[in-house]
Amino acid sequence: MITGVAESNDGMFAEFLDDFFAECEEHLTSIRRTLLALEPSIAQPRLSRDLLNELFRGFHSLKGLAGMVGVAEVEQLAHHLESYLRALQQEQLRLTAEGFDALIVGTQLLEQLVVARRTHAALPPTEPALARLAALVTELAPPLAPTTISAASSSASVAPFSSEEQAKLAAASTRGDQVWLVTFIPTPELAKRDINVNNIRGRLQQIGALISAAPRILSAGGVAFDFVVASHTDETTFAAWQQDGLTYAPYQPVAPAHTILEISPPLAPAMMIAPSNVVRVDLSRLDELMQLVGALVVSRSRLTDQLAALEPLVPVAEWRVLQETTLALERQLRDLRTGVMRVRMVPISDLFARMQFVVRDLARDLHKQITLDLHGQDTEIDKFVVERMLDPLLHLIRNAVSHGLETPEQRLACGKPSAGVIKLRATTTGDLVTINIEDDGRGIDPQQIESRARALGLLAGDALLDPAQILHVLCAPGFSTREQADHISGRGVGMDVVAKTVRELGGTLMLETQAGSGTRFTVQLPLTLAIMDALIVQAGGQTFAVPLPVVREVIRIQPERISVIEQNELLLYRGQPLPLIRLARRFGLVETTQDAGFAFIIGSGRTTVGVAVERFLGKREIVVRPLNDPLTHVAGIAAATELGDGSVVLILDTPALMRSI
Amino acid sequence: MGEVGATTQTYILCELAGATYGIPSIMVQHIEMVERITPLPNAPPAVEGVVFSRGQVIPALNLRRRFGFEPIAHNLRTRLVVIRSGARTVGLLVDTAREFVAIPYDAIQPPPQSINQLSGDYLAGIATLGNRLILILRVDDLLITSDGLATAGAAD
Repeated sequence: MITGVAESNDGMFAEFLDDFFAECEEHLTSIRRTLLALEPSIAQPRLSRDLLNELFRGFHSLKGLAGMVGVAEVEQLAHHLESYLRALQQEQLRLTAEGFDALIVGTQLLEQLVVARRTHAALPPTEPALARLAALVTELAPPLAPTTISAASSSASVAPFSSEEQAKLAAASTRGDQVWLVTFIPTPELAKRDINVNNIRGRLQQIGALISAAPRILSAGGVAFDFVVASHTDETTFAAWQQDGLTYAPYQPVAPAHTILEISPPLAPAMMIAPSNVVRVDLSRLDELMQLVGALVVSRSRLTDQLAALEPLVPVAEWRVLQETTLALERQLRDLRTGVMRVRMVPISDLFARMQFVVRDLARDLHKQITLDLHGQDTEIDKFVVERMLDPLLHLIRNAVSHGLETPEQRLACGKPSAGVIKLRATTTGDLVTINIEDDGRGIDPQQIESRARALGLLAGDALLDPAQILHVLCAPGFSTREQADHISGRGVGMDVVAKTVRELGGTLMLETQAGSGTRFTVQLPLTLAIMDALIVQAGGQTFAVPLPVVREVIRIQPERISVIEQNELLLYRGQPLPLIRLARRFGLVETTQDAGFAFIIGSGRTTVGVAVERFLGKREIVVRPLNDPLTHVAGIAAATELGDGSVVLILDTPALMRSI
Repeated sequence: MGEVGATTQTYILCELAGATYGIPSIMVQHIEMVERITPLPNAPPAVEGVVFSRGQVIPALNLRRRFGFEPIAHNLRTRLVVIRSGARTVGLLVDTAREFVAIPYDAIQPPPQSINQLSGDYLAGIATLGNRLILILRVDDLLITSDGLATAGAAD
């Protein structure tokens, strides 16, 4: 890989920082989870030792990480949190509601600090949180932990060595080499002279053995690279390099008991070493892998098609062998696909833990009493989908708390218990993940939505809105029932963004609401984005693919069961009248005489519709290709696929079809 | 042809309804024979459909229809010129595309006011090359969806 001078420095450092952020995120996730598990123990005489240790480990790791990249604020805050926990561990303090709150606030602040550091935003102030934590601990004398924080920018301290580096160091000392700590601070001027970290590294490798190299953020901004070099060369060889931005000093080995480690000797060995059986993989590499699996799936389909054409030409016995082989191939490919998919899956519990935090916070701010009821936390979901769904789900939760649930007084007045219940539920059915967000609050008032929609010119006519239409209006860009978005519900993400994200992920959003008794949003998402099973249909002479998970049933249409009311056709289906959409007509294609011989049923409850097609061409595994260009964004088509012979088949956007009636 | 230097730019020449159009070659990814085009329901009339090209599904924009010329049936000479404009990849259907030329900047004149065909709105200039006239296209503008290319039923 060839990159420019400045880029290669930045690249290396950016990668290092990415790792830092990713690790911080992991620890914060586990801290949040543990804190919530600890909450029921407030004011209890005994706390779970495991939970406390877990929490302590989390803060401690964060402190270590922050020290390594020089984010002193994180380090300091984590240190204070740790001190309070230590007092709890040693049972010198009892966990009070006030203390628990301080832990929560501290954790949120840690997250804000990390995010601010990542986005290069101004860091939020930490003093109030620090003072609060200090106050909790100062009741105890004498102070428990040394308050010295490892000085991140002192020049002689380098992160402790790995065992490999230790071995190199030992080898150097047996050779009688002198060990130097060489620090290089790149500058634009040096870069112009073609002096960068790579050629400095090259130079150092020429004079001796490079034992370690690590970037470090300087407190004044910028970055320094610390190299530890064992060399038998005389100092004069590299004295002149000082003009090239290098400084050097004899290397002072860091005592194994580094300041960070001193604080908790029992936990020390685990601190700096990540769990060895976990590999962190860039999602884009998994995407590539998924692409390859996709290509295999397409090739296999072609193979099957071509084999089918050979059937009459091949003796039966040989044909059977071929058939068995291709079936085995299909099975193995499916396993491979599932395997790759599983690597991308993460339990939804992390997402739910965040929601718990938000609910807790909002409840306090809005003086509401809320019980959050979680189900299906073990449900696994694609990592990419989780990341994309975070903001939309937060929005739905915030809405449920701020708009959905009433205040305790209002609730009591309606004869409801004072505490509202928000249910967050995740389930997997087939290839779909369903997430429900349900509250037992006041429900959505259709009239209020209607009058506002009319005022905004989003609605004509005077029919009462059904839930599907309410949802449609709610999701219209710019629609908000609050005249001014309050700071809680209106944080950049609106219902339109929720709907858009869900649609982009190939999912559906549904709404059920009952005035006075609550609201339920249902989000259905495909388990995987890249490959899916599809029903291949033909209408108006053109071939289309329908995502199989959304197809409820496939039926043959009996013409005598169709009745026409105004301009709509209704089909009697299981004793119920069902709107019938003729796909060919819908898409302005020429209807053939056999058109509408068959139909597939999609949707549920009041949104159920039948879609009439000429015929079914079978079931097939397809690789989803997005339609990215604005010229290809048309109603009723979600994406496309290619069947291996170069021809494109369009994938129907079933939610759009359901809406269009 | 003239040598390629700072004073020239290279173009792919396309034939369309008897005229020659130039597309800056830097925008052109590749040129394909036209195979199967899948019609896209509810798409703007000038979008003939979608095609699979190098791992992507892209729209095929018929330049005859875009400029309001009579469409003709595809034949062996018909080409899909796949261009990249910003983040977008779009195929342009032309009668044929066979030449690659360098045109000096000073051979390009601003388009005369009197060209009142639809394609006149999308011309960056007219180049004279020997005794040939080449209409230089402003390709980015051709793809603007609000400009005669709105989809019939936008996917909300």
